[in-house]
Amino acid sequence: MMGQFVFRNLFHRPLRTLIGVVAIAVEVTLVIVVVGLTSGMLQETAKRIEGIGADIMVQAPSAQIFIVMSGSPMPVKIGEKIHDLKYVQYVSPAFLQFNTSGGVETIWGIDPASFRDVSNGFVFHEGHDLQGPDDMLVDDWQARAKHVKLGDTYTLLNHDWKVVGIVEHGKAGRIFVPITTLQELVGGRDKATIFLVRCTRPEHTPDVIGEIKELLPNYPVRPVKEFMTLMTSTNIPALQTFINSMIALAVSIGLLVIFLSMYTTVLERTRDIGVLKSLGASKFMIIRALLAETTLLCLLGIFTGIGLSYVVRAGFLKLFPTLSILITAGWVLRAALIAIVGALIGASYPAWQASRKDAVEALSYD
Amino acid sequence: MAITVTIRTNSTGNAEPELKTLEPILKVENVWKLYHAGKVEVPALRGVNFEVLPGESVAVMGPSGCGKSSLLYVIGGLAKASRGKVLVDGNDLVAMSDAERTKLRRHKIGFVFQRFNLLPALSAKGNIAIAQYIHGDGFDPHRFEVVTKMLGLDGRLEHRPSEMSGGEQQRVAIARAIINEPKILLADEPTGNLDTKNSEIVLEMLRRLNKDLGQTIVMITHNPEATTYFDRVVHMRDGVIVDGGPAD
Repeated sequence: MMGQFVFRNLFHRPLRTLIGVVAIAVEVTLVIVVVGLTSGMLQETAKRIEGIGADIMVQAPSAQIFIVMSGSPMPVKIGEKIHDLKYVQYVSPAFLQFNTSGGVETIWGIDPASFRDVSNGFVFHEGHDLQGPDDMLVDDWQARAKHVKLGDTYTLLNHDWKVVGIVEHGKAGRIFVPITTLQELVGGRDKATIFLVRCTRPEHTPDVIGEIKELLPNYPVRPVKEFMTLMTSTNIPALQTFINSMIALAVSIGLLVIFLSMYTTVLERTRDIGVLKSLGASKFMIIRALLAETTLLCLLGIFTGIGLSYVVRAGFLKLFPTLSILITAGWVLRAALIAIVGALIGASYPAWQASRKDAVEALSYD
Repeated sequence: MAITVTIRTNSTGNAEPELKTLEPILKVENVWKLYHAGKVEVPALRGVNFEVLPGESVAVMGPSGCGKSSLLYVIGGLAKASRGKVLVDGNDLVAMSDAERTKLRRHKIGFVFQRFNLLPALSAKGNIAIAQYIHGDGFDPHRFEVVTKMLGLDGRLEHRPSEMSGGEQQRVAIARAIINEPKILLADEPTGNLDTKNSEIVLEMLRRLNKDLGQTIVMITHNPEATTYFDRVVHMRDGVIVDGGPAD
């Protein structure tokens, strides 16, 4: 019976319910999409780094693990020293430049020959490898997203590049240019952002890491196979702060809307509360009824929010095909839990207020 | 002073007649109710003494502001008396906590209001059934059928209050009030919002409840004609009972 009462009350004011559902849905969508976007970007980057096929990655001492944002170059000559180490087969420097003009992308400056050695080369859909100083390779996703064709001119960093090859996605970046040209363009001559190292055999990776650490103390040296597990938002403090801020914002929206919604509900139902009290309903019963109504409202909002997240993701991917939004069951559950807890906190004061209403005053309320 | 009615009954297996005292189901002793308007105390009830026997129907009359509604709320446990004693089936409401009065109300009191006070989101059936739910025994279909049939609500149970006439709404309110077989039915101007025809129907139903089922009823009314349906009429003025109270 109480279930029916709660259910009927919820739909007695459809517009109010709709606003509550939308608020919760926005809250849930915001959490799922923001987290999905960040973890999707991280995972996608990590997958592409793993996809290179190198065994070890070396970065400058102050570099971030999220290498696409890293601005800490090292002298290219370090690569030669690494190459001299035992069990090291190939070393390839890469210079990364983060670009935000005309889109968000990371340009990989590579040395074609050594990169080919380390990675076994690209799989070409069309065209050929980098040969001239203004040559550019793009992966198939980037080509589709930017409508780039073989032979097109692609302007980046105020420089006109010629697209000479379209390669299979999943290896390092989406845009590749000769390292020397990129170094010149951004004033980083003879600098590298990372060194990709290939060992003579994969089982020698720990030994080589030990040797590099001895040679270059304080330089982050990581096995590429572990990169995926390291690329989490918790390892990138600013990103974690961003995610936390977005979650806090989402929770605030949900909490305030539910608070306002339930507060007005309690005001509107003052007389009903008086009636329930006259029938002998306890304070606990009144609180439970209002919190059950909030929970039901919240569940509707959560399901709507989950659906909306997939719609938003589809929309984003349509607009930005190179984006990756990772919606995981874990974060869907967390977003649902956050929404429920936020809504119950928002509803608890109005519910408590309702339970404390004077029955006589409530019955004479107009 | 309390009235004690003594009746003679035949006890099975005993040849001699036996004296049995009928205790009042409701006993109000020197009850005061003070409201606070800022720092000023406004007395709504000023030493009310009043008793109702089981199965009795009592109409309380008096001018507006004389304390009728306050008396009803105090004896129904919705408001706490400032002083005195309010005994409902032997339980002193004044000595009880809010939670205890709520529990007593749930099991022993039924309310009917002037403005019907049905829950707008629920159907007639839902409005009656929720009282059973709050009572704690769950939905009793037999009792539900008996009550709704008696009040002529059979065909209107799926309708919401907004889809019913005033008379129908008040009958639903009566059904809700008596569905749990309360010891006392308290009615606050139940015909105040009804036309003459519906008023008569409602009053007749209250009379039948009293006569046929022995339901104890205390009703507040402005309408002198309504009092003809009741066993006894009590008059109030300025927070005290001036006529029809307990005999000295």
